[in-house]
Amino acid sequence: MSSQRAEPTKMKHKPQPWWSNPRARQRLIPFALIAPAFLVVFALAAYSFVWLVYLSTQDLTFGQPVHEGRPVGLANYIWLLTNSGSIFWISVRTTAIHVLGTTLPELLLGFAIALLLNRQMRGGSLLTAVLIIPIVLMPSMVGLVARLYFTYDGLVNFFVETFTGSRFNWSGPERALTSVILVDIWEWTPFFILILLAGLQTLPREPYEAALVDGASRWQSFRFITLPMMFPLILTALVLRLMDVLRIFDVIYVMFGGGPGSATTTLPLLTYRTTLVQEYVGRGSAVSIMLIIIIVTLTYLLIQLRARVTHQP
Amino acid sequence: MKANLSGLRLLRTLIQRGWDALTVAIVAAFLFPYAFMVLSAFKPRLETFKFANWILKPSLWFTKLQLDNFEQILDRFDLNILFYMKNSLIIAVASTLLTMIIAIPATYSFARFDFRRKEAIAYGFLFLQMVPGISIVFALYFIAQQLKLHDTHAFLIFVYLLWNIPYAIWMLRGFVSAIPQDLEEAAMVDGASRFTAFRLVTLPLMVGGLAATSILIFIGVWNEFSLAFFLTSLNSRTLPTSIAFFQTHSGIKWGTMFATATLGTLPVVIFALIVRRYFVSALTFGAVKG
Repeated sequence: MSSQRAEPTKMKHKPQPWWSNPRARQRLIPFALIAPAFLVVFALAAYSFVWLVYLSTQDLTFGQPVHEGRPVGLANYIWLLTNSGSIFWISVRTTAIHVLGTTLPELLLGFAIALLLNRQMRGGSLLTAVLIIPIVLMPSMVGLVARLYFTYDGLVNFFVETFTGSRFNWSGPERALTSVILVDIWEWTPFFILILLAGLQTLPREPYEAALVDGASRWQSFRFITLPMMFPLILTALVLRLMDVLRIFDVIYVMFGGGPGSATTTLPLLTYRTTLVQEYVGRGSAVSIMLIIIIVTLTYLLIQLRARVTHQP
Repeated sequence: MKANLSGLRLLRTLIQRGWDALTVAIVAAFLFPYAFMVLSAFKPRLETFKFANWILKPSLWFTKLQLDNFEQILDRFDLNILFYMKNSLIIAVASTLLTMIIAIPATYSFARFDFRRKEAIAYGFLFLQMVPGISIVFALYFIAQQLKLHDTHAFLIFVYLLWNIPYAIWMLRGFVSAIPQDLEEAAMVDGASRFTAFRLVTLPLMVGGLAATSILIFIGVWNEFSLAFFLTSLNSRTLPTSIAFFQTHSGIKWGTMFATATLGTLPVVIFALIVRRYFVSALTFGAVKG
């Protein structure tokens, strides 16, 4: 370099590649480190989404070669949203019941049990550890075992009969969704217990001491100290759980496959049934896309809500 | 007056013990369905459905338990349980390793550098993690057909990266950030390169976090159903998707099924209990520390 500069001739400055500049290099390091992860994840997602969008505009039967599909534009979406033979809106309703029927009881039950576990007692950490178990069990096996437990002669009816004297048909069209919800409550109430207990254990002591001095009752210190301080965490847990319930497929598929009739056909199950059972690949893909839109929109709205309520990003 | 006071104290202790008992009972109720499943794996075939018997007469627990169901899994090769387990193990280990190799540099970058759009990119990863497997599995099915990769270990290992990498980045970021940057900088002042400083200073300090994250990713892949179910048929069938094979023309083979479920879940439960310290972070993508 220096020898070039020393020469008085009008020698052309050799164009240096921009990456040889050490400054630019330094600036590139963080991106270079992220590049592999970014490429794998975003390429895989983009490739799948392009395919999904393409399939959702085709009239294609499952098993047919893809190039034999007939482009139909938005017809699949319109059919799903407006045709009287479509169970899309019924499925949305089932999904809403499923989501609310699982998350709200799980939250209330989970908070109550977290408060119980937050008391000083011997063996408390052992009890908390045990609660991890339902969360990490293989969902397909949980579904299969639940199917046996919920049969007419099953374990659940044994307890129900002991306490009430009569048995229920847990797999009939009226109660199948309830069975699915009960299994989820068993599996995922510990999720709320563990998160909320972790939160309770980090609450500062001073406000409680001050409240005690001021003569507040236990209910008052719960209502005016614990609840407000726990609120951001409660919202976080609720958002995470809500997102997860919206994609449950395995347990429902194994227990009832979306049936009987369409009693347990939530949106993830509707994707499967439209694509593989009815063999309408186009309509099934359209359901998938609408499910993704619902999840992304809800996630975004909930994160916004959480930011507004808790005044933190 | 004094007697009255100690009576009050006794009452208070009793109430406390009452709450303790209630807590233990509730936790036991959560454990019961699983414990009963494990127990059922050791029952003779004819006893599977006799729930009342086994709850009301605990003496049966010590006299009638046997290992027939487990022997069937090991002996009867038409059930192929060991084969599915091997597939699950290969796919879970490979996908976990690949995830960590790709995610660690990315995490380091997110935790140690400032660059434009950093948080936007991080949240982009998180959003993609939210996409339900079942919603893109049929698109992936057609992609696999086109690439002639249907029913291969490699495709499944690769596909899981879409969910594993964002998860690993968010989990590990907290662990890297918790280690003071000064330590690395001190090593770099002493002449170590950035990579050497990371390898010799930061990496050893985050071994716990790395192990926990790996175990949690392993558990996730080991348990995964929807993708594996539709992207494999015979060669790379995994354990969670083998449930269809218990359904024979003569009904579901419950005994073998219970034994398989026991074998498939016990290692995971043990792993999870080992990393229980990290479990709350695991559930919240590192947003909440346990």
